[in-house]
Amino acid sequence: MKKQVLTLLLSVSFFVATAQTKVFKEVSDDIATQTRGIIQDNSLVGYVIFTRLEKASADSFNYKITLMDENLNDIGTVNFTEIGLDLEGVAFDQDVLCLAYLKSSTQGKVFKNKRQAKQSNLEDDVLIQFLTLNGQIARTNSLPVNLNSTLTTTAGNQWGFNKFQYTGSLKHEVQLQNVSGKGFACFYGDADGCNLVAYDFKGNQLWKKSIDDKQAFALFASKSDIYLLEKEKQKYIEGGGSLTGFNFEDGKSYPKIAMQDKDGRSLTMMNFGTDPVTGNPFICGKIIDTRNGNHLGLVKNYTHAPYDGVYTIDVNGHNKKDLKETFIYWNDGSQKPGISKLGYMSDTKSFTVLSSAFRDYNGNTYFVGSQLIKKVKIGSILASVITAPLIIPPIMILSVGTSKCKLLNANVVKLSSKGTLSLDNTIACANSSFWRSNTDFATVNGGRNFYSLDDPESKSSFVIADDSKNIMIYNVDQKKIVRTIPHKAEGVHTTIGPAKDGHFMVIEYNKKEKYTRLSIESLK
Amino acid sequence: MLEIYNRTLFLVFISLILSIHLDAQVPDLYSYNDLSMFSFAKQKDSLKKTWDCPQLYKDKSTQKKYKEIWNERTDFITSAIEANNYINDGKIYNYIEAIISNLYKANPQLLKQKPLLLIDRSASVNAYAMGENVIAVNLGLITFAQSREELALAIAHELSHNILNHPENSMKQRAEWLTSDEYKNSLKAVLDSKYQRLSRLKKVMESYTFSRNRHSRYHESEADSLAIILLKNSHISFDPEFFLRLDSTDDEYRQPLKNPTKNYFASYHVPLEDDWFNQRSKGLSSHTYNFNSPAVIVDSLKTHPDCVERYEKTKSEINLTGKLTPIPAEIKERANKMLIWNIYDNLSLTECLYRIFLEKDKGNMDPWYDFMTYNVLSGLYYSNKQLNRFNAIGIKSKEFISKSYYELQNLLEQVPANTLVELIKAGSNAAFWSSLPPDAKGMKALFTTLNFDIDNVPKAESAAANNFVNSNPSSMYCEFAEHFKK
Repeated sequence: MKKQVLTLLLSVSFFVATAQTKVFKEVSDDIATQTRGIIQDNSLVGYVIFTRLEKASADSFNYKITLMDENLNDIGTVNFTEIGLDLEGVAFDQDVLCLAYLKSSTQGKVFKNKRQAKQSNLEDDVLIQFLTLNGQIARTNSLPVNLNSTLTTTAGNQWGFNKFQYTGSLKHEVQLQNVSGKGFACFYGDADGCNLVAYDFKGNQLWKKSIDDKQAFALFASKSDIYLLEKEKQKYIEGGGSLTGFNFEDGKSYPKIAMQDKDGRSLTMMNFGTDPVTGNPFICGKIIDTRNGNHLGLVKNYTHAPYDGVYTIDVNGHNKKDLKETFIYWNDGSQKPGISKLGYMSDTKSFTVLSSAFRDYNGNTYFVGSQLIKKVKIGSILASVITAPLIIPPIMILSVGTSKCKLLNANVVKLSSKGTLSLDNTIACANSSFWRSNTDFATVNGGRNFYSLDDPESKSSFVIADDSKNIMIYNVDQKKIVRTIPHKAEGVHTTIGPAKDGHFMVIEYNKKEKYTRLSIESLK
Repeated sequence: MLEIYNRTLFLVFISLILSIHLDAQVPDLYSYNDLSMFSFAKQKDSLKKTWDCPQLYKDKSTQKKYKEIWNERTDFITSAIEANNYINDGKIYNYIEAIISNLYKANPQLLKQKPLLLIDRSASVNAYAMGENVIAVNLGLITFAQSREELALAIAHELSHNILNHPENSMKQRAEWLTSDEYKNSLKAVLDSKYQRLSRLKKVMESYTFSRNRHSRYHESEADSLAIILLKNSHISFDPEFFLRLDSTDDEYRQPLKNPTKNYFASYHVPLEDDWFNQRSKGLSSHTYNFNSPAVIVDSLKTHPDCVERYEKTKSEINLTGKLTPIPAEIKERANKMLIWNIYDNLSLTECLYRIFLEKDKGNMDPWYDFMTYNVLSGLYYSNKQLNRFNAIGIKSKEFISKSYYELQNLLEQVPANTLVELIKAGSNAAFWSSLPPDAKGMKALFTTLNFDIDNVPKAESAAANNFVNSNPSSMYCEFAEHFKK
């Protein structure tokens, strides 16, 4: 619809500046922008736009932070000068915005020659900045890091002389979270080790702990403690995790909890979040089959019982006895006739590739994933039988496989608060084509994705099912699709992003016309 | 000579078109063909030919730049005509034109030629001079002004800008500056600098802006002084208090409603939860922040800066020769309705509904406002379906709006879709429809298709819009239907 804009442009006092656009573009090559949601207690409360405006000196830049509220209205801006920064994390609590950057004077900088590069200062830091809602930078803390930088050559000039630049990175990216009413927790890992640091709202460092290096980490803040979910380097692609809690006040660690069942079977972690009812941390996922659990590359692997069941763990305290663990197995036949020993669901005549899990406001845990069917390629078998005397043709026919797989709708599987597992409903999705069973699962899946959203006000939970045709928002309580967002015509890429409570953000990127349209829409 | 002839021809042509149109009887507020895209179509096409840039500079680059700026002005007007920013409404035009005639006849030495008037549909409380003896008066100014004399002051002020050649001088000043050695050198220095390029460019721009503002302030003061003379010669009272009133034009939506916001929906008999009127988000908008005192608009950013200063400078010239003449209710009403419709068609639904409620607060029982409330609710539901509800609501920061406005935008944001359907259904069965003309009823049918036809939506939308336009070819609401025709 038509928008009237700048009617006053022609009044006597407004003849200015349009001719400067080109010049502005030319002088603003240095400008780079990063946008992040501001998260507090797992809710999105606003947005921060971090802009590198210009080079201020040989090593430093002028930066601008623009704060926007949850409705994308500007609140204010803060300008400052620093050495090269990359925004890594944002958290908010008690009217203090905590920003974590990777600060380096060498990363991304191009040196004319090796000597110049070697003379440069290789001291890098994780920079923690504390910003008030009055627009003041209350405090800035530096945590020195070793990025394991190596000197590499870049494309040379027309005479073939190479240029040089340092490349390096943190081993584990910065993770930053608020601890409600207490402060902020920051985790990062570099070439020298991993660290967990706690700050109060004034920016004072409360403590810093060294953490043994692992394959991966996830930081989580509960009402009073912080937790690190660690993944060991071990044979299982998905499993091998452990959970360690830390007292926020003094950094004292609680006994480590191994992520495995009583028989030592490893557990996948599908969700590590807050129970919306109790506010305590909870973890849920699948129980990995010791024999078949490590083979997941091909679509047929999901029909070979890679999982034995599902589980939930409620972390109600710091010790093993405070954990409420629920393990539901189907491989023992206890879930028949609904679910077979192989995980085949009789109601939908399919396997389920569970890929998302969450807990609702009634204490139920839901597991969502695509239905997978596998069929025998009768034609291939007949052809190989018929051509059997020829020896080579049947071998060739059989080598491409005798079965085919296809993804259908989504299954919503419910683990009730009482511990019973059942198929709750299905979500109609665009079916995939039939693929040979030894096709990569990612190819068959074709970007299909499932995730969840909560509306704390109406205490409702939603599944976002994103398939090749539409993005569907499914209300778990009402058991129906409440919104359907079509993936528009070619050249328009539509995605869903987080927004303020009870809402979601529709992000439409129009590749042809080069614009991004944002709209914050209600989940209702 | 040829240039003057061309301009005169253009003005005569526009005046002729306007005078032909004024004799026609229009249903409702105005006819679809009264929008500038149709009513000024020929003028738009001939503008570029008639508005020739005069040869002023020997220096080629300055003349070239001047021509560019000159053409920007022409492009602005032609694109504004194309975008239907102007309306050719007889009654409002006649009323404003009569004020201009009064000033023109009483000031033959200053106004050699009768100015061309354009009525801009903008809600901004403003008028503007474009040079070449053309001025535009916004509908927002007509609804804001309390008397004929206030309108006359604003018009005389803009005419003074034209008399004093301020628009032309501004264009010249800009062309000269952009081609000056000082500007080129400072720009070169920016481009040559390794560091602080953006800051240096800002400084270059700021020095020009500072100089421009100084000139602009002087221009405003000069135009005020001449306007007072124009008014005096025309025996029109001058009340400097108007400048003080202008200072509050940006507080439009800070004006509270007389009743609780929920009461305005009482006639629908659809239960609305109190919670929907409150902001429930934990977002930053609910926090106290103070980066740059946003609650107070910096004077330079106001629609009308320096109002107090202008009042102080001119208060000694007060000339209240008689009673101030109220603007006829019919003119106010028409302007207000046109404004509300335009805001609606621009998809600013909260602003539109708030203005409707402000009108209801005045005791206005005109069913057209109920019809527009129905349109807002239907438009909101449609936007919700199109995942465009957020943009249609246009959430404003709480610092710039009243509590009532805040509650209303919260409601539009949070009312569930099924409740919206109930409101629309209740609205579609209300008694007010019986007193509305057929095209308004046609809007209901159009919205029914847009909102509730679930089969083959794009085609159905297009067909319904075509059907509306074919059935009501002269209706002002065709402007809305046109959005769905493609």
